[in-house]
Amino acid sequence: MAMASTKKVKTVRKVGFYTALIALLIVSLFPFFVMLMTSFKSSKEAVSTSPTMLPKDWTLKHYIDIFNPDIFPFLSYFKNSLAVSLTASIIAVLIGIFGAYALSRLKFTGRTTINASFYTVYMFSGILLVVPLFKIISGLGLYDTKTALVITMIVQTLPTAIFMLKSYFDTIPDDLEEAASIDGLNRIQIIFYIIIPLSVSGIISVFVYSFMVSWNDYLFASIFLSDSANFTLPIGLNSLFSTPDYVWGRMMAASLITALPVVIMYALSDHFIKGGATEGGVKG
Amino acid sequence: MKFPIKREKSDLKLALVLLFPSIFLVLLLVAYPMISNIQISFLDLPINPRLDATFVGLKHYTDILTDGAFLKSLGITLLYMILAVAGSTALGLGVAIFFNRPFKFRKLARSLIILSYVTPSISLVFAWKYMFNNSYGVINYLGVDVLGLFDKAPLWFDKPVSSFILVVLFAIWRYFPYAFISFLAILQTIDSSIYEAAEIDGASAWNKFKIVTLPAIMPVLITVVTLRSIWLFYMFTDVYLLTNKVNILGIYLYKTAFAFNDLGKAASISVILFIILSIVIIATRKRVKY
Repeated sequence: MAMASTKKVKTVRKVGFYTALIALLIVSLFPFFVMLMTSFKSSKEAVSTSPTMLPKDWTLKHYIDIFNPDIFPFLSYFKNSLAVSLTASIIAVLIGIFGAYALSRLKFTGRTTINASFYTVYMFSGILLVVPLFKIISGLGLYDTKTALVITMIVQTLPTAIFMLKSYFDTIPDDLEEAASIDGLNRIQIIFYIIIPLSVSGIISVFVYSFMVSWNDYLFASIFLSDSANFTLPIGLNSLFSTPDYVWGRMMAASLITALPVVIMYALSDHFIKGGATEGGVKG
Repeated sequence: MKFPIKREKSDLKLALVLLFPSIFLVLLLVAYPMISNIQISFLDLPINPRLDATFVGLKHYTDILTDGAFLKSLGITLLYMILAVAGSTALGLGVAIFFNRPFKFRKLARSLIILSYVTPSISLVFAWKYMFNNSYGVINYLGVDVLGLFDKAPLWFDKPVSSFILVVLFAIWRYFPYAFISFLAILQTIDSSIYEAAEIDGASAWNKFKIVTLPAIMPVLITVVTLRSIWLFYMFTDVYLLTNKVNILGIYLYKTAFAFNDLGKAASISVILFIILSIVIIATRKRVKY
């Protein structure tokens, strides 16, 4: 009797738990569901005053349209975003590895100060620097170039990159390095042959973090770029918002494809790496 | 004793070489701009670099501090920050406690929850703009026609109050996964025998939370609240892309610089915000683990 009732309580609890979980997931994922469904709806159905959950007639038209450069400049934006984000994150990772190694392993006066100042920069928001950066970039003759954006993105992500890498390097035992240096490896060789291979997962996390920040950037793109041929996805898509070019199905298809690279990267790194790529924090 | 001294010397040289690119870039694009901000804040500076700047002293500062627009924007920003931080932290903690048990599909559910946090703002904003559209958005359809929550469909993007509610909801939804992951990680380190002991002592759920959970998660709680507060205080992109009716400080600064071309005034706003940031950093430095 008592056994049966505990079992019953357990089942009720279980049902309650999964109901709550599903409710939570529905609320959390509803905008993604709407995005996905709208991308398959006809343009007329997308603006119906009694909205449908699932498309009445499924269409792939919007996906075909956004990849057609004659109707929609999506591919050009996508390429620009990819160029900026890849370049910025590769450079940030490289520079970050050297900096983090110095802060993690080398003893020198001023280490604490440098460490502390990078900490401070980590909390800085780009918005505080827009005026002088605009002047500096114009002064360097880099206005309306992707280079301007690449350099800014490197600096925006570098402090976090150094911290994440430093905390990985800190976990690598000193003995390994000592053994390597007895074997005749110098510091630079140690970085390439010992430190980097042992921190691959950390390096990937940093790369993904840096890529996500660059891919997401709207602020600096909107200040530095004026020719739509240079536009990255966030500024490009937003510029289409108030033109006749914007058809909801297309915008939703474009939004999904825009989200795809970072979501895939995130999912892969979350799957293969303990800690994942979400450590750095999205500043907005 | 000769060896370690020699080693230290060579370390400094190598450290400088390795750190040079990082320090150079941070000095050029963070430290120098910050000083430049102070300098520009005393000038009337035209956007066109060929026109000369004129020195105006503290005029921008007195303008800003006596101008209602800045104080109003500061108030809106603080309210936005407090509501969004409280909402996203509480929700993140609640969901983390909910997830802190073994169940089927836990890993998948965790990944799905984090989706709103990793997706670029621009994609999320489009989805929200569509869902909250005045005439064909699904939210107004559900709220008015199906559930009857509102008498009249709210014009979400046209009114300051409804736009404000919208950006707060957006921030809570977008940023609670950050709190969630942080709390889940620390909750998993709490030994379950402590809860069992509390249970034997007859502690209620609330007491278990207060006596066991809260002290254990305190360092993470402080960090999450501080960092999210700082980041939301300087928020620009999410709100700017969603609506033009909520003038938080980030937008006020951006518009002053690039819509009204008043670079000098924008630089003074940056300096004031920088001072506020510094105070917060110094005040929280010892308690926040970055």
